[in-house]
Amino acid sequence: MMKTLMKILAVMMVLMMAVAPAMAETDMEYVKNKGVLVVGITDFAPMDYKNDKGEWIGFDADLAVAFAESLGVKVEFVEIEWSNKILELNGKNIDCVWNGMTLTDEVKAAMETSNPYCNNAQIVILPAAKAADYPDVASLAKLTFAVEAGSAGEKAVNDLGYATTPVLSQADALMEVAAGTSDAAVIDSLMAAAMVGEGTGYADLTYTLPLNAEEYGVGFRKDSDLAAALNAFLVDAYENGTLMTVAETYKVQAAVIPQAAAEEAK
Amino acid sequence: MEVFLEQFPVVVNALNEGFVQTLKLFFVTLLGGIPLGLVITFGSMSHFKPLSAFTRLIVWIVRGSPLMIQLLIIYYFPGLVLKTPIWGGGEAGRFLAASVAFIFNYACYFSEIYRGGIQGIPKGQDEAGFVLGMTKVQVFFRVKLLQVIKAIVPPMSNEIITLVKDTSLSRIIALQEIIWAGQAFMKGSHGISGAIWPLFFTAVYYLVFSGLLSLLLGKLEKKLNYYQ
Repeated sequence: MMKTLMKILAVMMVLMMAVAPAMAETDMEYVKNKGVLVVGITDFAPMDYKNDKGEWIGFDADLAVAFAESLGVKVEFVEIEWSNKILELNGKNIDCVWNGMTLTDEVKAAMETSNPYCNNAQIVILPAAKAADYPDVASLAKLTFAVEAGSAGEKAVNDLGYATTPVLSQADALMEVAAGTSDAAVIDSLMAAAMVGEGTGYADLTYTLPLNAEEYGVGFRKDSDLAAALNAFLVDAYENGTLMTVAETYKVQAAVIPQAAAEEAK
Repeated sequence: MEVFLEQFPVVVNALNEGFVQTLKLFFVTLLGGIPLGLVITFGSMSHFKPLSAFTRLIVWIVRGSPLMIQLLIIYYFPGLVLKTPIWGGGEAGRFLAASVAFIFNYACYFSEIYRGGIQGIPKGQDEAGFVLGMTKVQVFFRVKLLQVIKAIVPPMSNEIITLVKDTSLSRIIALQEIIWAGQAFMKGSHGISGAIWPLFFTAVYYLVFSGLLSLLLGKLEKKLNYYQ
């Protein structure tokens, strides 16, 4: 009896020793060892979207490519279901979420986040014909808002105490307004600028009031040392001008947050 | 109208790409599920009580829980809980995980259809076979199998048509099948954003494909008609 027990213990020890070094490696070493940084994204112009050749481009995508280069690894973009981003990250299917992600308290609690690099706002979407009837936030009180479930927009409307209809994505929220099933929607202002108004698929809609101001950041696994590496990379990129050059390519330069080494003290 | 004509080829191209994924998942599920179902049938019909009880427990779990949950568990559980992401984050890994979930799920449904077919054959045929000196295996393959096949074609057709549409569930683990491709145009993809019609248009693909399948399965049923 004792002997078998000892044997089992011995086998377990050996197994643990075999596993231990793998567990001790930092996230940076893990990524460098496999030679590829897997970036979790959604199709989200102008941050991450495909060009005519089917390559991922955008403000976030171009920066992710440059960051991977600085680490000496390749980059792989993987489209994820946005509501599963923390599952994808912790399950190591992806190494970071880099997709115009608003730094909410929930995100900061679940991920190791970088310094904010871009400003954003949650903005109200209305049918263009009705926009003039709602000049201020108080006038919106009786409307029902379509919002992406779990999004910063949902939180902004809830904070005001107005009625919401949670839907699967920000695009679905726009469809609700276009189809008349919701009075209004609240989505990211960067997205609204690209998707709503004349020359877009939602020519009958318009964006009006910003409900709050917020910031975009990049998310890594909790306690990952990659977040600090990215912060240092962003400072370099800002100082040598590449960050602004990329931003101008995608016309988001007005939203970029200056990166300074002092800000690194978290 | 002009905008529509401009968008149409771009959208159809993207939808075709998505539909290839749908078709791949469909055929892989059938290829894996049809034989695996037979194995499960033999398990649940076994006279060895622990085996049949265990198999029926598995069938109950798989048939009794939503396929969407099974997809999420099969894809995320290894990485999240076992700390070994066996599938990987790329397209191929997602397809593999979806295939495993679909094959297992459909094999369980198929197994019950097979069981119904086998148990529907009168016992007298077994007895007649034994009297003639045939073994149990011989009776199954030489006497009963063709009758079973004929009996299970209609319920199998039903399940196969359902499978065509169920493949869309795999978008929950971000497998980019046709619904995903259609939905992408709402947010913005291939330079088109805010277009709702591509999502609705995906239904045409499903209708045409399930129509073709119905014809094919109907023909198969007719072919088996000679055998009363």
